[in-house]
Amino acid sequence: MSRDVFITGCGSYLPGEPVANDSIEDHIGRIHGRPSLLGRRALRWNGIETRHYALDSDGHAFATNAGMSAKAVNNALDCAGLGVGDLSFLATATTQGDYLVPGHATAVHGELGQRSMEIASFQSVCGSSLMAAKSAWLNVLAGEHKVAAACAGEFSSRWFRPSFYEGTALVDAKGRARAEADFLRFTLSDGAGAIVMEPEPAKDRQSLRVDFIDIVSLADRFDPCMWAGAAVENRSDISKGWAASGPLAAHAAGAIALLQDFDLLKRVIRAWVGVYLEKVDLKRILPDSVDWLLCHYSARSLREEIVSLLEKTDAMIPQQKWFSNLPRVGNVGSASIWIMLDEFLKSGRLKRGEKVLCVVPESGRALVGFMMLEAV
Amino acid sequence: MSDTADVLRKLAVVFASFEGRLEQTPLIRKLTRGRFAIDDYRAFLIGLRQQVKDGALWMSRAASNVDEEHLELRSRLMRHAVTEHRDFRLLEADFVASGGELAAITGAEKNIGSEALSAWMFHEASKPNPFGLLGAMWIIEGLGSIKAAEWGRLAQSRLALPDTAVRFLLYHGENDLTHIAEFEEMLGLVLPDEKVAKRIVRTAEVTARLYALQIEEIAA
Repeated sequence: MSRDVFITGCGSYLPGEPVANDSIEDHIGRIHGRPSLLGRRALRWNGIETRHYALDSDGHAFATNAGMSAKAVNNALDCAGLGVGDLSFLATATTQGDYLVPGHATAVHGELGQRSMEIASFQSVCGSSLMAAKSAWLNVLAGEHKVAAACAGEFSSRWFRPSFYEGTALVDAKGRARAEADFLRFTLSDGAGAIVMEPEPAKDRQSLRVDFIDIVSLADRFDPCMWAGAAVENRSDISKGWAASGPLAAHAAGAIALLQDFDLLKRVIRAWVGVYLEKVDLKRILPDSVDWLLCHYSARSLREEIVSLLEKTDAMIPQQKWFSNLPRVGNVGSASIWIMLDEFLKSGRLKRGEKVLCVVPESGRALVGFMMLEAV
Repeated sequence: MSDTADVLRKLAVVFASFEGRLEQTPLIRKLTRGRFAIDDYRAFLIGLRQQVKDGALWMSRAASNVDEEHLELRSRLMRHAVTEHRDFRLLEADFVASGGELAAITGAEKNIGSEALSAWMFHEASKPNPFGLLGAMWIIEGLGSIKAAEWGRLAQSRLALPDTAVRFLLYHGENDLTHIAEFEEMLGLVLPDEKVAKRIVRTAEVTARLYALQIEEIAA
């Protein structure tokens, strides 16, 4: 049994007003009261100019991850001309939910209310978005559900508050946070996005047929590159995760904060490119047939030699075909791809018959996902 | 797939999986996980020396088997061999600067992976017009331009080595862009040709596997 599945609605939710670069630390706070030394460098590298936080300018939360995710689902259902009452399957994605247990999908379902439904929780980093999308897609494809939603939400700013770092091994005697910890504070922000999938396209509006969703993990070869739950020194020994020493000792060791290894990231980027080139080589992805590229990574952060390699191997998708709102809405982890797709669809640029390739790389432990869509 | 871009793409895919395999070898795991000791570094140099020493030799042999129709390629292989044929001396000097005895590196025997790699390279180089070896060069040169400097910097920072002890790894530097451009030119000398294209990719695959075996077999 084979049939088509269509994205019939897309929605997003960004909390509060856009926050400019010079106000970031009003929201996420200053470690030991001192401004970050690394912040500017991080911002130059990621090119983000404004973002949204679910923390007000005094650092108080005015939303939850589950609440934002539910709002995005409602917006996506609304866009599809449906309501929660029509939804029978919900797959959720997040890096860090509001609770450790149970899964994020239970929290989002709780916020949505109204009816019982089947749920699935996906937890990773950015790539969890496509894991949830693939689950929703396969459920509709298999005839298990007629209306499925995949959502993704992040409330990372909460994890960037000073208390996650102060009094830990991540801060030196002069009160400066380690680069592994501080960089991400200026990279990630809050929000949620969602899509709705159905076995039929919408009659009166544009829908997107899902051609494929491919997800490739390279964790066989890499240690964690972006992680929380282990100290920098212990991250390759899975038996030394945070629970082994208990929460207080883990916090003191700097094992609770979200961390990134930038040296490893360079190797991971090459590995992502390798996976992409293999997809091109196997003709799973035909670069010439792609009309729009939505990549949760900015073209400007790709180094010159990688762009050159892509060009020389006939695999580069020219930059005029890239659509991104990353500089304005920030990097919202797993939610970014839906927030990007939502704005793209509402911009009216997409024409019937055009192909959209969504690329979601995840540094976490080196994963990359691809989703090919066609406008119908 | 006789097109240069197609071959380059397949080679890039082979290189990416080669990098993935290298990451999983015990020696590189030690290096990236900060458990690399000075003995590991010396064992690493000993392991690398065999291939570096043989490199210029198989390249010369390959050049001697290139026919008159491909004189430009022959010239390039010969120049390449000349440029690199003393590099193993630099590697020996690094070994000594890192506290090793010269006799320990010059007298070391090839490990199983080096034996296999060396035998394979000379075997291929002995064939008439051994164009497949361009695939081997892609792997070995790629290692020089992409991985060597990365490993050199990691080893130096982990072990607080003096600059004089990491010259071989650091000297290759990061010249990816010129590396790819020069390689593309060489491909242009033998392509388009369906059979040659396939042989280049296959030779890259075998070389990558045997090179990784050489690294796997390095034990401190």
